[in-house]
Amino acid sequence: MTNKGTSFYERLEARGVSRRDFLKFCGATATMLGLSSSAAPMIGAKIAGAADEGGLYPALWLHGGACTGCTESIAQATYPNVADIVLDFLNLVGQETIQMSAGVQTLEGNEEFAEEHAGKYILIIEGTVITGLDGNMLRVGGHPFIEELENFASKAAVVIALGSCAVDGGWVVAYPNPAKGTGVGPYLKSKGVATPVVNLPGCPMNPEELVSVVVEALLLADRDSDGVPVLGPIVNRLDANGRPKWLYGSTIHDNCPRRGHFENGEFVYEFGSDEEAMGYCLYPVGCKGPQTYRRCPMIRWNSSVSWCVDSGGPCIGCANWNWVDQNAPFRGRFRRVGAGVLGSGGVDPAIAAAAIGGIAGAALIAHGFGMKAAKRIGSNATLKTEECKEWETKHAKKGGAA
Amino acid sequence: MAHKPVKEAHPLTFILTHWINLLAMFFLVLSGFYIHFPFIPGLMGLARGTHFFWMFVLLFNLLFRIIASFFVRTTNMPGTREQDLDYKNWGLQGANTHQLWPTVKYYLFLKKDYPISAKYASLQKIAYLATIPLTLAAAYTGFALWGPTSQIPFFQAGTRWWASLFNWGGGGALMPMRILHYWIMWAFLIFTAVHAYLANIYNFAPSKMIFAGIEEPDALIGH
Ligand code: SF4
Ligand code: SF4
Repeated sequence: MTNKGTSFYERLEARGVSRRDFLKFCGATATMLGLSSSAAPMIGAKIAGAADEGGLYPALWLHGGACTGCTESIAQATYPNVADIVLDFLNLVGQETIQMSAGVQTLEGNEEFAEEHAGKYILIIEGTVITGLDGNMLRVGGHPFIEELENFASKAAVVIALGSCAVDGGWVVAYPNPAKGTGVGPYLKSKGVATPVVNLPGCPMNPEELVSVVVEALLLADRDSDGVPVLGPIVNRLDANGRPKWLYGSTIHDNCPRRGHFENGEFVYEFGSDEEAMGYCLYPVGCKGPQTYRRCPMIRWNSSVSWCVDSGGPCIGCANWNWVDQNAPFRGRFRRVGAGVLGSGGVDPAIAAAAIGGIAGAALIAHGFGMKAAKRIGSNATLKTEECKEWETKHAKKGGAA
Repeated sequence: MAHKPVKEAHPLTFILTHWINLLAMFFLVLSGFYIHFPFIPGLMGLARGTHFFWMFVLLFNLLFRIIASFFVRTTNMPGTREQDLDYKNWGLQGANTHQLWPTVKYYLFLKKDYPISAKYASLQKIAYLATIPLTLAAAYTGFALWGPTSQIPFFQAGTRWWASLFNWGGGGALMPMRILHYWIMWAFLIFTAVHAYLANIYNFAPSKMIFAGIEEPDALIGH
């Protein structure tokens, strides 16, 4: 995509976005990045500067086993917003869902691109890494996708695993995971590819989140002799799970507007109830906000119109690892664990614990009757003091009875 | 061997630490159940506050109990009023190192007579000592879940490792940690049930002593 000729602001204008809108967007991005909104002009200048210099990063966007939901989410078909436009300025050569070419043609084009920008481009992966049938469950241009992934990832400067599927396999790997899906990070690690991976879990990805990564990279980057930004420092701003700290540093629950209801114990126990109408906390109907790291309450969805809890649905924890297995049932409080390990679809800890408690209790009662039957306790208990003493004298190494 | 429970076995310090443990566990379990599922509305803030308060009490009490065992004197053999430093009760004791298996056999009705023992029988000692790692595990998993501490690398590493066992090698989901925390509570409940059962199987004299320091003149323990 070439943006030369017209200035960045003219191009924004042509797409119906005023300078004011753009700065507002920069302010929001600044907040997301943990900067004060006074950083907005700086962010604006960086983006405009990068765009006027002929594009942001050279980038390639590939699809693994994807529902293209992340693409959908980012394409925001109804009207272009500022985030869209900034993403347009990613120097994106290939995006399999929306590009014209397919199959062998695509591979050739991508290969050319990777050679030209070797070591300098961003590789964005959407979708699960499908390893079933030696990777042949998902083929592109006659080759398994996993080969394509390994090839392009090893030449990239950084890989962005976009969405839960790319991070760890997403819903595709829910038990019993017939496609043998996995995430980009674990797969590349198993192949010894050292390119850093930025994990952006979420199902789907929110465009604002990707934009914040691009902007953060821009803010931190130096430029090489060709004027291409050098990535690198961004990797220092990732948490232990490879996620950008500013996006995944707090839980949904930490920032939820219903948190006050939670602390007050004002809960929705049933959908359709008065409590639901009053906007009470959704914890008992299965909200996974307390164990989900993401900033939906602040970033919100669909150009900040609303988000899950605001629209009345519990957070289903879509940014968690192996999130479907971890969080199902989505509208109930009790969770299963052990799926895949036990191979049984897991156990409900509440039922299992009650069963174990019950068995332990019953065993103790039975034991009590046994003690009684053996005449060890009760009114007719026989005290074998002397035998015991004898036994002890025989067995004690030293010390022994008083 | 039948022996008489004597009040020298439970000096006041340990009567107090035992009470604190009991109260802490009671409030922790109750508030924990509530946090797990708020069965009646209105108490979440209270339940969480209670949980955090008693968690710290339990931890400090454990620390105090361990330190106190080096200073407080207690009996270390049944049937005697002679006291020695408490920590000696907790290591290997010649009087009962060889009695683990016979004790197990006795309780499984495979052996008729109760093996005489030191103050704590071998099984009892193992069970009591096991509550230390269990308490620490409850605390660790709890801190790994608690907002202010969950992002500390020491706890995050555990979350990642534990989750990886249920996750085909990835990430740091909190749910498995949550469930582990919950299982640990069940381990405590089962411990408490067995403990209360075995301590009072012959009569309630041991309870009177550990809770009130009252010695029953004619009670005998064991048979
Ligand atoms: S609705 Fe969910 S995220 Fe919000 S306060 Fe309740 S439990 Fe937390
Ligand atoms: S609120 Fe929860 S379920 Fe909704 S998008 Fe955010 S992380 Fe996913």
